[in-house]
Order: sequence, then structure tokens, then C-alpha cells
Amino acid sequence: MSAVTMRLPAEIRPVLDNGIPAVMVTCSADGKPNVTVISQVYHVDDTHVALSFQFFSKTIRNVRENPRAYVCVADVAGHAQWNLELEFQRSETEGPVFDAMEMQIEAIASATGMSGIFKLRAADIYHVLSVERLTYPEWTGS
Amino acid sequence: MPDLPDEQSPDTELARKTSELERKTAELQVLQRVSSQINSTLDLDEIYDIALRTMDDLFEFHHAVILLLEPDGETLRVVASRGYENQAIGGRVKVGTGVIGVVAQRRKMLHVSNLGQQRAYAAAQRRQMIKAGRSDELTDTAPVPGLQNAESQIAIPLLIRNELIGVFSIESPLQRTFSEHRRGLFLIVANQIASAINNARLYEERRRAAEALRAANTSLEARVAERTAALEKELRVAEALLSDARSRVDGPLLGESAAVTGLRQAVAVQAARKEPLLLVGPPGAGKEAVAHAVHGASGRRGAFIFVSCPELHTQIRQLSVETPTAARSAPQLLTHKLELASGGTLFLDAVHELPTGLQTALQELSANDLDVRVIASTTRDLAHDSLGRPDTGLRFFAEHLSVPALVDRREDLPILVDHFIRRQARQLGKVVESVSSESMERLQRYTWPGNIRELRSVLERAVLVSRSTVIEVDEELIDEGLAIGSYRLTTRLGSGGMGEVWLGKHRLLARPAAIKLIRPDVQPGVAHEQLVRRFQREAQVTAGLRSPHTVQLYDFGVNETGSFYYVMELLEGLDLHQIVTRFGPQPSERVAWLLRQACRSLAEAHEHSLVHRDIKPANLFVTSLGLEYDYLKVLDFGIVKDQPGHETTMLTAQGVVQGTPAFMAPELVSGERVDGRADLYSLACSAYWALTGRPLFQATTPGQMLLHHVQTTPLPPSQVSELPVPAAFEAVLMTCLEKDPARRPSTALELEQQLARVAFKQPWTEDRARVWWETHVPTGLHDYRSR
Repeated sequence: MSAVTMRLPAEIRPVLDNGIPAVMVTCSADGKPNVTVISQVYHVDDTHVALSFQFFSKTIRNVRENPRAYVCVADVAGHAQWNLELEFQRSETEGPVFDAMEMQIEAIASATGMSGIFKLRAADIYHVLSVERLTYPEWTGS
Repeated sequence: MPDLPDEQSPDTELARKTSELERKTAELQVLQRVSSQINSTLDLDEIYDIALRTMDDLFEFHHAVILLLEPDGETLRVVASRGYENQAIGGRVKVGTGVIGVVAQRRKMLHVSNLGQQRAYAAAQRRQMIKAGRSDELTDTAPVPGLQNAESQIAIPLLIRNELIGVFSIESPLQRTFSEHRRGLFLIVANQIASAINNARLYEERRRAAEALRAANTSLEARVAERTAALEKELRVAEALLSDARSRVDGPLLGESAAVTGLRQAVAVQAARKEPLLLVGPPGAGKEAVAHAVHGASGRRGAFIFVSCPELHTQIRQLSVETPTAARSAPQLLTHKLELASGGTLFLDAVHELPTGLQTALQELSANDLDVRVIASTTRDLAHDSLGRPDTGLRFFAEHLSVPALVDRREDLPILVDHFIRRQARQLGKVVESVSSESMERLQRYTWPGNIRELRSVLERAVLVSRSTVIEVDEELIDEGLAIGSYRLTTRLGSGGMGEVWLGKHRLLARPAAIKLIRPDVQPGVAHEQLVRRFQREAQVTAGLRSPHTVQLYDFGVNETGSFYYVMELLEGLDLHQIVTRFGPQPSERVAWLLRQACRSLAEAHEHSLVHRDIKPANLFVTSLGLEYDYLKVLDFGIVKDQPGHETTMLTAQGVVQGTPAFMAPELVSGERVDGRADLYSLACSAYWALTGRPLFQATTPGQMLLHHVQTTPLPPSQVSELPVPAAFEAVLMTCLEKDPARRPSTALELEQQLARVAFKQPWTEDRARVWWETHVPTGLHDYRSR
């Protein structure tokens, strides 16, 4: 079963905050896909999320070439999965979203001897194009 | 309280709303309770406990920690925790490190719900870097207090007016989510905690400050009380001093006698002058008061600076002992005093005690441009001092003013008595009218050796013990003031350069005696202890003489003012000086009669190796003993000198020529060895004076006189005297007047025998002596010896 909306529903908020590792899919300009696991999907508002840009990676390059991306977030408690279709809009290096994300990363980095290395370079802001909630009956035992 | 899932419940809408309402109600109750509890205490531990329990009630979080910022501003310290096996109390977190440290640094709440994953991610990155050889970019991991396996953590800064005081943090090993709603609740509680902690700390600070203030107050009160007591004491002393000063200033100048009227006039004259002024008078006569009066009348606006020269002398001597070089800085002491007295008056009390060096310094300093009137006081009789001991210091004083003894202004007594009893009565709060007529008579009869100072002291005691408005002055009060040893001084017989002679009476035996007081200042520069030692030896030696022609010594000692005193047998009569002065040259047979007696006294003294050194007419006292008239007594072994090998005696200063110039043996003048033959020379000089009424040599200065003794051959007395001088007698005298002691009679006894062999046409007899006294002193031998 699935339901598609254009906005982030309220029930997805705890799922994002729980920080269960999410899967992100991007594609290069020449059509080569890339799948990676990301640790954080930051809820900005009903139509935007922010993803951390910490390292120059394949994902970042792809997004800069092709702004479309997919993020799959697992909701263990709800026995569901959320698929977010996103479009890269901009990178923020300051502001409340950047600060909130940077602070969390710095808290981890400072305690692990990674200050200055494990740091947020930018908060990449994505527009939510669609949200799809998938449920799995077998998870519920139904 | 379980965190309800936010997703849509399958239950009915009513059940969902009911559940939500119950949850909110429960939350509100918790918040109300925590608000009530946390604001009802100022105990920090209790506040921590309430805060931690509230987290449990609200969120079922069992791991919470409160940290406060250390004074250094760089470290947080755990002050309370809940749910940890190791309570972590005292654990520290560096500001900027870990979740708590970053929250403290940014002063913003932080919620991390996937701590484990993020740590794992960071650890993986770390390993990658190490593998890539970038270890040098890494720093050590920083352990932080709390759960090692925490998955979620929320930390909130505790802020007071945007100032960080600490961090409140809760942790869970589970991945849990704090909704915005719950984060809001947490923020409310944290703010209350911050406020309560701040209040408690402020209260504690205030309490400590109050305690410190209380302690300081207690200490201050004690110090104030102590200081107040000291000030009151100082005030009483100052009042007493002021009163005393006033009485000293007022008293001596009160009266209408010619003496004090003249004194007041002299004060007015002196006030207009600038030259150094020397006040001369007996102790207690009011010299300081006169100096005050001169200063007051002068219109000088500067201070009146009092300097006690004996104290200054002692101070310099002590300095010299402690620091030998300090003596050189002694003039600075005087300079300092002079500067203090700038525009005013410097009063040097007992100036004869001023060390010689300072006397010179005083003259030099006064020659400068300092506007200081120098006034000094001395008890010395300058006329006497100029003969025996030239005092260069006193020459500095161009102006002299005599302050009379009280006995010389007796008529002022009633005014002075009235003044002193009223002043003392005012101080004691008593009412007095007068002294009784009997007491006034007693006061009038008394001789007041201590002068006005003694009068004031006696009257103060009389007022003190009086229970009536009419003051009685008992004889005991006067006695007490004049007691010296076992003797009471009653009448001053005379005074001289070295002191005074008083008529005294033994308190128990009622035996009259002559008491000679010798001031310790007669030998400046000699330590008092040394003087006392010499004096004692001198007195002991004199007391050992048994000749009836040597004045008998009853007692001796040092009184409380430091004066030495001898108590001697009281002799009634005249000394040879007085006899010649009053009645002219005496016949040879009488002179020989007297000389023979003097020889008997000296013979014994010489046998004891004592040389009198000051034989002169004034020390040859002619008295009566029972029915014997013209009985001679040798007086004043005051400058007696032992023969070589013995200590120099009391009144002989080292290096100072002692004796009376007109009667001084040549060897004494030249400082050669002296023995008893020096006394025989002086005795012959005295005989010469008695026979001729003139000294052996005529001289205008002591120096000339001394030189004559050494160089000049004297004229025989027969060529000078109006009376005949038998040749045999003259021959004996002239041998005694030989410059060379070896050519004189070798002993006093030999001289006595030579005199005994001289035949006179009309020998002197006891009958002639009796007739002489009855003719010349018909009132009896009551003209006491005086010097």
C-alpha cells in the first residue's frame, strides 16, 4: 500500500528525528546512479529537508550535476517506509538550519578527537517533490 | 509517563483526545509541583533532587546530570546526577567538548537522538584517517561523564539573563524522540532549575556576605570600643595635661608681690624680643609657665615646642650605645625640633643638660634663617658656674630672666592658694571656699623648697581628701612633700652652684640637721649611675672620719628627683668667710687657733688617703660645742679626692679643674699628683684671707688667679694686713704657700705642731672667744651656715 503527498506529513517528523539511517539515491549527469547511507535528514518545514554536506563525495558531485535525489527513511516503530523525492535547491553555510546541524556534528566531533575534520561544510536544502508512505503487511504480521 | 506516539491512533477520536488531555493534565501537575517545590527551598542539593526527580516524572528518563560552570569559565563540574552507577559527581566537562560542552559553548539546547550511530560514523571516519596516515590531524578523544552507550541525549543550557551558569542533561540508552512539545516542557523545567539555582547561590553568597559582615561588624565593634576607650583615656590624659599646663601657666604669674609684678613686666618686655632667652630659677618656680607667657604675649603664631634636655641627652646616649654613628646625627634631632617650632618658640627645659655638641649645633642652627625664638630654662646659679665650670652653651643666651622662688614672694601665697584649690575643686566637682586660717598660717610658715609645683601638689592633695568647703592642710601633707630619707626639710638655709642647704628634722628623733641637696646636673656628661656610685663612696669615706673637727655625716642618699643629699650635723655659727666679710680681718692668734683645729681634721683625712681639695674660708665653720666657742669644723668633703689608686670621687669630673681658684694649690692647677699638702696650701690661703681680708693674689679672672698660684710669689701677709702678723706665724704660713709641695710641712699634724709652737703676745683663749661671740653675735649662734 502507498500514499503520495506533496508535503511532509506530521507523522514523519519523529521518524526523521529518530535518525534511523536512511538511504539516498542520486544520479550523475550521464545517468550513472549512486546509493549511499546518510545519518541525518533534518526537517526544515513541510516542503523542505536538509542533508548534511560533510565530505566531497560522489553523492555531492551527483547532486551538483543533477539536482534530483531520492531518500528512503525507515520507520521501524510504524512498520513503514517513507520515500522522499527531492530536488537540491541550495547550500547554506549559516543560518538556523546550518547552526542546528553543525552543533550536533560538532558535539560528536569534539568528543571523538575529530574537531575540524568531522564538520559540517554546508546544509544542503532540498525541496520535497513528493512523499510516499509504504506499509508492509508482513511486518505487522497481517 | 510514556511518550505517546504521534502517529494517528487507531482508537476513536474521543479516546485519543481523552488520552491527550490526561497527558497534558499530568504534565501540568508535574510542572506545578516542580514550580512549587523548587521555589520553596534555597538548598542547592534539594533543588538538584527536585530537578532530577521531575525529569523522571515527566519523561521517564532515569539518567540525568546537572553541571555548573566553574569560576574559570572554561569547565563545567557535575554537581548532581541520577541513574548512574558512578554518580559522576565532581566529573568535569570542558566547555566546547561533547554534547554538554557544545551546549555550554553555544548556549543553545541540543537534542541528539542517534548518538550511537553518529559516534560510530565518527569512529569510522577516524579509522579511515588513521589508515590514510592522517593521524597527526586527530586529537585525543575526550571522555565525558554519562552513559557510554547513550543513544539519545538532550542538553539545555542553564541561563540567567543570558549568562551561562550550567547545563542540564538527560540521556537514554534507547533511541527516543523528544517532540517539540516535550522539548518545550524540558525548557520550562530547566529555566526553573536555573532560576532556583541562581537564587540559592545568591542567597548563599548573601548569607556568606552577611556572615562576613557580621564578623567584620563584631570585629569592628570591638575595635571601635577599644579605640573609643583608648581615645577616652587619651582625652582624659589630654584634659589632665591641659589642666596641668593651664595651672602651670596661670599659677606662677599670679600675685601682686614685687617679684611677680617685676616678672610680668619682664615677660612683656621679653615678648617683643627675638634674642635667645634664658630663664633662671629654682626647680618648680614656674620657668616653663614664664616661657609660655612670653610665647603667648609675643603674638608668634607658630607652636610652642617643649624639649626636655635631660631626656634628649638620654635619648642620644642610648642611640650612641646602639649605633655608634648615631651620635653624629644628634644635631638632626635638634633641627627637627627647631623646624617644628618654626614661627613659634622652642623651649629647652634644663638646658644645662644639653650635650656640648648640641649646644654648639643650637647656636649654629639658630644663626640660620629659621624664625624660632629659643627660650631655655636652668636651675643653675650662673654666677657660681662662671667660676668653676665655664658653660659655653649658656653664653648663647643673650637675655636672662630670673624666676623667683616662692619663698621670695610669700605675699602671693593667698592668691596662689585660692587659685589652686578652686582649680582642683573644679576638676573634682567639689565646692570649696577657702583654706582654714590655721592652714594658711602653716602654709605661710613653710619654706616651699619645691616652690609653686610643691604648693600645687600639696593643695591638690588637700582638696582631694577634704570633706569640707574649708580646706585643711595638715602638716603631714607638707611633710610628705618634703620628706628626704628620714628627714623633713623645714627651712632653706641657702643655695649655691651645686645645690641647696636645708634645715631638716629627723622624723622620729626630732634631731635637727643640715641637709645638703646636690643636683645631679652639676656634672653634665657623667652618667647618673656613675655619679651615684661616686657619691656613695664619697659619703661612706666621709662618714668614716671621726675627728670632732670634721662635720659629722648622719645620712646620705638620692631622692626621687635624682638629687644627692647629705644629712649633716646642724652647726650654728659662721664660717670664716662670713666672719671676715662681716667683721674684717682677724687677729693672728685667733687665725692660728682655728688653723690648728682644721689641721686636726685634715690630719685624720690625710691618714685615710683623702685630700679635701676645696679648703677655703667658707668650708671652715666656726661654731660652739657645748661651752666651747670658736670650735672649728671642716665642711664639705664634697670634692674630696682619694690618693692615687683610688677612684675619683663624686664631684670631681675627669679632666676638670676642681676647687675654688683663690685657694687652689699649684699642683692642683697644673694637674700634677696631689696629696694632703695641697690642702695645707689652701689652708694657708684661707689664713691669708682671714688675716688680710684679701685673697692671696689679685686677679680679674679665674684663669689669672690659677696662673698666679703656679707662678707668682705671694706677698707676706704682714705687708698686706692692717693687723700685726707675728713673724713666726708668717713664716709657717709662707712655708705652706711654697709652690713645691716638698717644701711645705709634710703633714697636717706637723703644721699643727708648728703652729702650736708660735708664741703670741695675746694668745687666743676660750674666754676671748666667748666674749667675741657675745659681742658680735649677741642673738646667739643662729645664723646658720649658708652657701
